Amino acid sequence: MKLNLLDRLDKLQAPLNVLVAVLIGFIIGTGLMLVEGHNIGEAYTALFNGAFSGRFNFGGTLERFVPLLLSGLAFAISSKASVFNVGVEGQLYFGAMAAAYFGYTIVGLPSFLHITLVLLLAGLAGALWALIPGFLRAAYRVNEVCTTIMLNYVAIYFTSYIVNHLFKNPHIGVPQTPNIQESARLARILMPSRANIGVYIALGIVLFFIWLMDYTTLGYKIKTVGLNPQFATYAGFQARSIMVGAMVLSGFIGGITGAIQVLGIHGYFLDNFSKSLGFDGIMVALLARNNLKVLPFVAFFLAALKSGAVGMERFTGIPRELIGIMEAVIILFAAAEAIIVIRRRLSYQKGGAEVV
Amino acid sequence: MFRFSDVLTLTLVRATIRMSTPILLAALGVIVTELAAITNVGIEGIMLVSAFMAVAASYWSGSWIVGILAAVAAGVLIAALMALIHLRFKANVLVAGIAVNMFSLAFTRFLLVNWFGVAGSFYSPRISPIPRINLSILAAHPVLDTLFNNYNLMDYLGIVLVFVFHFLIYKTVWGLRLRFTGVHPLAVETAGVNVTVKKLQALLISGVLGGLAGAHLSLGYTTQFIENMTNGRGFIGVAAMYFGGISPITTWLASLFFGFTEGVGARLQNLGFPSQFMLMLPYVATVVAITFSMIRQQRRETDKQPF
Repeated sequence: MKLNLLDRLDKLQAPLNVLVAVLIGFIIGTGLMLVEGHNIGEAYTALFNGAFSGRFNFGGTLERFVPLLLSGLAFAISSKASVFNVGVEGQLYFGAMAAAYFGYTIVGLPSFLHITLVLLLAGLAGALWALIPGFLRAAYRVNEVCTTIMLNYVAIYFTSYIVNHLFKNPHIGVPQTPNIQESARLARILMPSRANIGVYIALGIVLFFIWLMDYTTLGYKIKTVGLNPQFATYAGFQARSIMVGAMVLSGFIGGITGAIQVLGIHGYFLDNFSKSLGFDGIMVALLARNNLKVLPFVAFFLAALKSGAVGMERFTGIPRELIGIMEAVIILFAAAEAIIVIRRRLSYQKGGAEVV
Repeated sequence: MFRFSDVLTLTLVRATIRMSTPILLAALGVIVTELAAITNVGIEGIMLVSAFMAVAASYWSGSWIVGILAAVAAGVLIAALMALIHLRFKANVLVAGIAVNMFSLAFTRFLLVNWFGVAGSFYSPRISPIPRINLSILAAHPVLDTLFNNYNLMDYLGIVLVFVFHFLIYKTVWGLRLRFTGVHPLAVETAGVNVTVKKLQALLISGVLGGLAGAHLSLGYTTQFIENMTNGRGFIGVAAMYFGGISPITTWLASLFFGFTEGVGARLQNLGFPSQFMLMLPYVATVVAITFSMIRQQRRETDKQPF
């Protein structure tokens, strides 16, 4: 019975740590507001309204929710095979460029087909880009963290070259591609915000990957390789090719993340547009501890904070950077795996005698 | 008409050295941590907060020395924060680094609004910059003068530090222990050295170097603070560290290569040519270089095995 209790506490530890992190974040954020002489009640009301009240604000939250969720999913999937895809940012750029290109050049398809085709091609672009670090890791044990960070820059410069010199909208001074066809546009929901049906697509993709990871052999293999590569090899899985596979899947999602930004938000590819959307995903995956079912909630929470911060700044004059600090503190402490260690303390006290 | 002489001029040497300094300082910092098995991507955030503090301190005190000291202190503090999260609370080091970067970006934006009431960037004639060094021996000769004279103090300091760290890492017991903290921590522990303390030292030193890099960005390379002004230079430092094989002198050469491509890239852009391929060159080169070094290492390992 007692062991049972310990097991249950063990499962609680991760969410508890995250909860403590969120608490610390809010305490520090609130402290800063107090030091600055702001009214706490007003500030939090404005924060809440900025995230949820009215179509525009709630739309703003959903608009931020989609890339957070998808890039978080991308990072979580590769992490499950113990491969750290820090290159989601680069894959996102290639996906976005592919979406801008095929969204513009393919003409005459019905909307549903056009969007599906563009998303798949964008995913493919991201997947191919992720194949490089995946292959190098599997074949030559080249550290994928390093290569993906490097390849991010290559992707940003490469797409910058394309949008500046090969595929530029000639009517506009800014380096951006021509507008995509109407048939490729993701329908807006909650006008006048920029939220679009990308929300449903993103949630659908997450559901698909939950199914893939929990109910298919491939998912089982990915998880096994992540937990114990030696066992996976012993069990007859090609651990290396599964690592590559996880990276490619991750890159595929990264590509789609970029595509949805292009098809749903901008309507074109803009040079250097992402500003770390791909890195934010690492935070989402981290807070959710790579648990795919928790990802949407975390992404929504962070999106609401980001969106609320804008409203708070507008109505109370508290700079939105304060929420940025709060967020960063939450992430910093959520990264910590050992703020609270229930199991160890309990087992030190009681466990020793029980085992004997 | 494209002429190479427009790009390859004597001043390109200057540009190369000037642009390589912040990368070099950051790279030296991450060499020290990498040797202790810490891939310190948080150097980006360390540099950013330091750059801000350097400007703030120099603005209030009117002294660039105080500016540098404040930058170093800030760098060490941020490094200590990373140490707390990574060493004490066992966070994944990569995640700790990225979280520190997020924090630094938000923190400096917040302070910019809060202390100076501006958003985006802060400049004032009251900010005292780090001086340039004029060596009168070189001034007489026009070519030598263009090539090697009138650099910022930090440009020279960076080069001195390359040799200081080469000595520390390869010629002292401290360096030996540091290197083995990464290679074989258990052996180091067995020898009676606390690995955690070693890692803490490495992180704090990277804080000092990141602090210098930040101070150079905001008081040497330019005299202002701009939001997110590090703009990936910390990451580039990590790249230079890998490209240079985690060793000070070769990393210096790597930093110069990065500075060179940046310098040529800027010129090509001014002349209306695409600069992107030039700018991506060091990153591609890094990936290729690491891949070859891994292939070589594996060959060596398979050669050793009898079957």
